[in-house]
Amino acid sequence: MGQVPVAAPSRVAKRAWLIQIRPPGRAGVYPVAEKHDQRFSVTQRRRTDSSAQSASARTLHDLLRPGRRAQARSAWLSVAAQLIWPVQAALVAHALGGLLTGVDVSALWAGLGFAALGGLRVWLGLLAEQQAEAAAEAVVHTARARILAAETGRAEDSPFGGAGAISALAGEKLDMLAPYVTRFAPARARVMVVPLVILALALWQSWAVALVLVVAGPLIPVFMALVGFAAKEASQRQMAEIGSLNDILVERLSALVDIRLLGAEQAVMAGFADKAGDLRGRTMAVLRVAFLSSTVLELFAAIGVAMVAVYVGFSLLGALEFGAWGGGLSAPAGIFLLLLAPEYFQPLRDLSAAWHDKAGAEAVAAELAQWQAAETASLLGQGAGAAPLDGPAGISLRGCVLPGGRVLDDIDIAPGESVALVGPSGVGKTTTLRLMAGLLAPEGGGVIVAGQPLDERTADAWRARIGWMPQAPHFLNASLLHNLTLGRDGDLAKALEQAAVADVVAALPRGLHTRLGETGGGLSGGEARRLTLARAIHAAPDVIIADEPTADLDPETARLVAEGLLAQAAQGATLIVATHDSGLAARMDRVIRLEGAA
Amino acid sequence: MTALWHIFRLILREQPAALWRGALLSLVVLLMGVALLGLSGWFITAAAAAGLAGLGAVFDVFRPSAMVRFLALGRAAARYGERVLTHDATLRALEVLRLRLLAGFMAASHARMIRIRGAQALNRLTADIDALDGVPLRLILPVTAGVLTQLVAFAVLWWLVGLPVAAWILVGYVAGTALVFWRTVRHTAALSRRAEAAAQAFRSRLIDLVRARSDLAIYGRLAAQAQHVQAADDRRRDLRHRQDRAERRAGAALQAVGALVAGGALWIGVALAQVGDITPALAALGFFAALALAETVLPLRRAASDLGRMIEAARRVSRDIATPLPAARAAGSAEGDLQIEDVTLHRPMTRTPIVSTLSLSVAPGECIAITGPSGKGKSTLLLAVAGLHPVAAGRIALGGLPITDWGETALRRHVTLLPQRSALMAGTVAETLRLAAPEAGDETLWQVLEAVRLAPVLRARDGLETKIGTRGAGLSGGEGRRLALARALLRRPKLLLLDEPTEGLDDPTAGAVLEGIRGWLPRAAILIAAHRGVEKAFADRVVGLE
Repeated sequence: MGQVPVAAPSRVAKRAWLIQIRPPGRAGVYPVAEKHDQRFSVTQRRRTDSSAQSASARTLHDLLRPGRRAQARSAWLSVAAQLIWPVQAALVAHALGGLLTGVDVSALWAGLGFAALGGLRVWLGLLAEQQAEAAAEAVVHTARARILAAETGRAEDSPFGGAGAISALAGEKLDMLAPYVTRFAPARARVMVVPLVILALALWQSWAVALVLVVAGPLIPVFMALVGFAAKEASQRQMAEIGSLNDILVERLSALVDIRLLGAEQAVMAGFADKAGDLRGRTMAVLRVAFLSSTVLELFAAIGVAMVAVYVGFSLLGALEFGAWGGGLSAPAGIFLLLLAPEYFQPLRDLSAAWHDKAGAEAVAAELAQWQAAETASLLGQGAGAAPLDGPAGISLRGCVLPGGRVLDDIDIAPGESVALVGPSGVGKTTTLRLMAGLLAPEGGGVIVAGQPLDERTADAWRARIGWMPQAPHFLNASLLHNLTLGRDGDLAKALEQAAVADVVAALPRGLHTRLGETGGGLSGGEARRLTLARAIHAAPDVIIADEPTADLDPETARLVAEGLLAQAAQGATLIVATHDSGLAARMDRVIRLEGAA
Repeated sequence: MTALWHIFRLILREQPAALWRGALLSLVVLLMGVALLGLSGWFITAAAAAGLAGLGAVFDVFRPSAMVRFLALGRAAARYGERVLTHDATLRALEVLRLRLLAGFMAASHARMIRIRGAQALNRLTADIDALDGVPLRLILPVTAGVLTQLVAFAVLWWLVGLPVAAWILVGYVAGTALVFWRTVRHTAALSRRAEAAAQAFRSRLIDLVRARSDLAIYGRLAAQAQHVQAADDRRRDLRHRQDRAERRAGAALQAVGALVAGGALWIGVALAQVGDITPALAALGFFAALALAETVLPLRRAASDLGRMIEAARRVSRDIATPLPAARAAGSAEGDLQIEDVTLHRPMTRTPIVSTLSLSVAPGECIAITGPSGKGKSTLLLAVAGLHPVAAGRIALGGLPITDWGETALRRHVTLLPQRSALMAGTVAETLRLAAPEAGDETLWQVLEAVRLAPVLRARDGLETKIGTRGAGLSGGEGRRLALARALLRRPKLLLLDEPTEGLDDPTAGAVLEGIRGWLPRAAILIAAHRGVEKAFADRVVGLE
């Protein structure tokens, strides 16, 4: 009776909503993330595949392995705690029965005994929970560490999704495995042991009561299955069809400025209220089904207990002479049986209350299976700091095969040369730059840098010599100073001067200590671009790789950025830019035209 | 705590019926549970006593057993009703909170609107609202129903069994629970705040790792960033562990309170029966009722461990909530030139001037391009004209009336700004456009799409019913830009402010789109923040910002 499924009502809905938490990165401002996150939501819809389901069952099995032993201990402890109750029941039956039969019972000892046994039961329950939580922690932590390790080793975003999708999966979604371990698994263990023990105890006192329990018992699994189906279908329908209210809210919050500028506040509020009301109606319809099935289960348990009570009551009154061993039922035995009956059904009710935890864990496992299936090329090296590679800063590409099978023409860049890579969009300019930086390994052929093959061993050391200017700037959630230096030594003031961005930094509220964060802290696109230039040149690297350094800049800013890059080349650095800007290309020593060999 | 109360009052005021019905049924479920167990215990013991005394034939079996059946079935039914109603109440709370937040942010300053747009701010906000959804269901309803049940049980037990048993049960449960609750809240409040911070740190560091993966690899910081992520997770794991332990102990303590109170009730009851003050059946009644009353305190385990988090969330969210929904403000009415006189503007959130003593005037039908290097205040100027950025010195007036004196509604009716980055929401093309002009017919929509040269593209797809994904997914950059432009044009403003309107379009298309704009709004004053030749060429006049 201590195991009343008190948290059940809230759990149902909470789980259902949690499942719908979407990748937060969809609100990201950079197009790269959006592109991936879109793909993520498409793949999510494919979940009902049956092959995907068996894959997710396997994944769930693997996921739970790290917590298996603690989970088993937890199961045994939880069963043991539950089995204290028959002892407590016997004590109560003895005390109350003694009042009737005139046997002398010490009231104080009975009360103390009951409380002490209750304390033991609480203690065992506490240990069981402790083990269960340790198991859950191990499970979640292992999975999280695996995601982190895999994401660190990737060369590019996986088709599964961008930063938002990954952080949602590794964050709140993995947490949903915990209730499965802490609630569903112990409940399942109790279902397998506790009813049998109680049945045996009932049989020892009265075959009639045992008969009632045996008859009512097997009906319960039938209803369990029904409840399970209903609950599972309910949560799946919720996931598949109903977009969460948070999603809708987040989308509107992202469009606040537009809404205000269009004077559409009232219309948007009305639309949101309508959608919310509609969503509530549909969610309630689904929940009603789930609640109804668990009510049916509860009614069955109530009928079982009532039948036992009727038999016991009439036996004690002397109206029934059968059912007990050797004549009528004694008063203590009657009270004992009545105290046991509800506990026979309780584990089943706990299990049904925890059914949603199972559905939630399966949904997470399915998503993890998808994440695992999405493989990408891996990064060369560890991406850790290293001593710079020795040798002149030349780069040669030899018969490199790009992902997709195209073979790139050989490219040789001499130390100190400045080179522009030009060609139509999609011809592989960015990919070529990534090959040169060891961010991507070619599928065939090889890259030779500073006279050595660029491989797992040399990549980190080679990259220690590179200054890098990516196409889309992303600022880490840290100070501008950290974003610019990234742990490298160098002359930052000079770099800011050369990138023509010193006055911009000086105008920031806290100068170099301003936290830019993902939104760029109110910097314009051109200013952000110049900051990445300052980052690329501040440590005086002898190779600079820049991807479209002047795209979308006004002519004045574009000129400043080009000057900054060429100043480095003039000091002897090897400079490679991929660009559409013919003016910039013309200022390089050499232009390499990449042709699409379709 | 005040903030939490504020949130709850808000939900209560909006949805009193749902909450009252939920509370009432929660109370009924608890009372029926106590009555069921108490009556069953009394019934069996009384029946046994009657049987032993040989009075089995005259003992009234039917009324008590009918009552037991009624309570058993009634409780199952009431529980169903309770679940449905309390979930309904929670869903309504969800709705109220989100609606109020949306209203609050719509009335916020531009700077604040920009800040909330980031993924992390949104994440934090949604996590907070999720914590607050549980206020009625996990905190208020169980506490209210539990206290009321205890009081009713006390009165009935006093009447039936006697004061000693009734008082023991009430005092034991109330004092024990209050102690456990107080200690747990005190212990977990700080923990849950720190755990939440660690979770946010984990998320934002992991986002950084994935988004800036290449940059970090080049600069040799990838491994360090991975450790940084791991450190945040370790911290969160440790805090979660401590939180779990506190919650576990709270749960165990509450169960122990139940066992102790029931044990005590057994002792007092049996002792009273032994001296003949009450019958054994009534002693059983007291014991079984004490056992059943444990159900009133067990749900408080979650409430106690979540309270800290709820209070924190309430503190943050209540700032952003609009208490009264914003009403449409009074309308101004004037038309004529846009006059910018000696205007100085500061950079957002600083006191650094970005535009100083600028003067400019734009007449109806005129188009002026503002040029200048990036970061020199073109966008800020447009925001200021649209009333979204404060004017530090000087005056911006439309038709002789300063921008600040125009009511929001009237200003939006006459002035429309197309910002540099516009957000498109998921829906169809028609829905997107009708956000600006709900009354517009299909004919009008096609005309404006024609003006921005988007009509041919859409005709090749599903026309006005073409679906757009979240954040404009499914459209190319240039298409999204033109759709946002068409949406702005549908407002038919007297003054149109365009921030780099043709970005992402090739020159011929850009020229055609600009011609389309002028054709659609022949008499509007147009101000363009321009950096492309085609935009400057289109303008009647070009003004350079230094």
